[in-house]
Amino acid sequence: MERATILPAEEQRVTDMQSIAQHRDQAALARLFDHYVPRVRSFCLAAQPGANIMADDIAQEVMIRIWNKAHTYKPESASLNTWVFTLARNARIDYLRKNSRHQSDIDPEYLWRNVVDENADPFKDAQQKRDQERIQQGLDKLPSDQKQVLAKVYLEGKTHKEAAEELSLPLGTIKSRVRLALHKLTIYVKR
Amino acid sequence: MIHYHPSIETLTDYAAGSLPLAHSLCVSTHVEHCQECQQQIRKLEMLGSHLFDQAGTHSRQLNHLKDRFFTQLEEHTLEENDIEKHAQEPNSNHWGDYNIPSSLRQFITKSYDDLTWLRLSPSFKIATLYNEEGGAQIALTRVKAGAHMPTHTHTGNEITLVLEGAFSDESGVYRQGDFINRDASHKHKPIVTKDAECICLTVLDAPIEFTGWFARLLNPIIRRYHPYSRA
Repeated sequence: MERATILPAEEQRVTDMQSIAQHRDQAALARLFDHYVPRVRSFCLAAQPGANIMADDIAQEVMIRIWNKAHTYKPESASLNTWVFTLARNARIDYLRKNSRHQSDIDPEYLWRNVVDENADPFKDAQQKRDQERIQQGLDKLPSDQKQVLAKVYLEGKTHKEAAEELSLPLGTIKSRVRLALHKLTIYVKR
Repeated sequence: MIHYHPSIETLTDYAAGSLPLAHSLCVSTHVEHCQECQQQIRKLEMLGSHLFDQAGTHSRQLNHLKDRFFTQLEEHTLEENDIEKHAQEPNSNHWGDYNIPSSLRQFITKSYDDLTWLRLSPSFKIATLYNEEGGAQIALTRVKAGAHMPTHTHTGNEITLVLEGAFSDESGVYRQGDFINRDASHKHKPIVTKDAECICLTVLDAPIEFTGWFARLLNPIIRRYHPYSRA
């Protein structure tokens, strides 16, 4: 079966996760810090430009979760990047709901954890890697207008409606750009 | 079999984390029942992780942050016992006759019966789970088998998620896990199926609009059933 190529650096990071889980390896944590903290910070600054304190706090929170939850990471059900992305996403939501003008008591911790796939099976694992590769390659070929909308939704944390307002485009145009992009990446198959 | 799913836009906003929390609560509850949407979200999260990875990195010096982080690491380290305890939390979801979806357990710690239900008619009850300040109103509705729900129109967007039982209206039959998103233009007249009571999660946007239909829906009923108005 065709396997996606995993870069050695990513493999090293998965090994680092295992040494954190098994031996509380701080050197491994430091390597993950160097890789992920700049990314988490950019992810936060995309949503709140200039909010460096927020970006630092969230990045720290993500690293604490990596440190304490490393044993729950299962390489067969998600890539490490996906796992860290979901940590960053949830930490950002949590930070914003606690610090925004309208605080919400809805705890995001309850809302995403059930999505984690618990049944590891080799077929799914291979499928997972194929999807991963297809998305990665497809993303590079997307027209810039489609990529721009995806970035608004994923990185800037905008809803489709907010993205439409900001780009001064009809909501329908935004929706069709996202649908086209998801279709090309074979994420979305019309049901 | 689930027939009604969140739109791909809603799932994308959910996976990206940009969907309002009250709506995410409904999606999350749906997803617990729906393998198809679980798969979809997994792929949408993969997409998110690639965008996250490519987002670029700011060149700011992070040594200071790193030093601080490692100095404080000890304080943040969970003991193994804490970790175990944390991991075991989600298991005890079975109380009474129904399973409480894990997404709702932050509001329903015991059972549906232990919530404070406001009886609006002999067959229709409502329990508020949470009112977001300046945001959505989140409630459960509970309707007896075979009963009609009062006809109502929405002035705002309403999401209904069937938790137990089933109901139907002009457009179809809705069963456990079905996700129904209705906008202001929709007027409907739901009837619960005859075999069992129906419990739904409902999220209404914007409290002022909610007051609109809520008042129209409740006022005559409240006047009839409110204990103080009988004196």
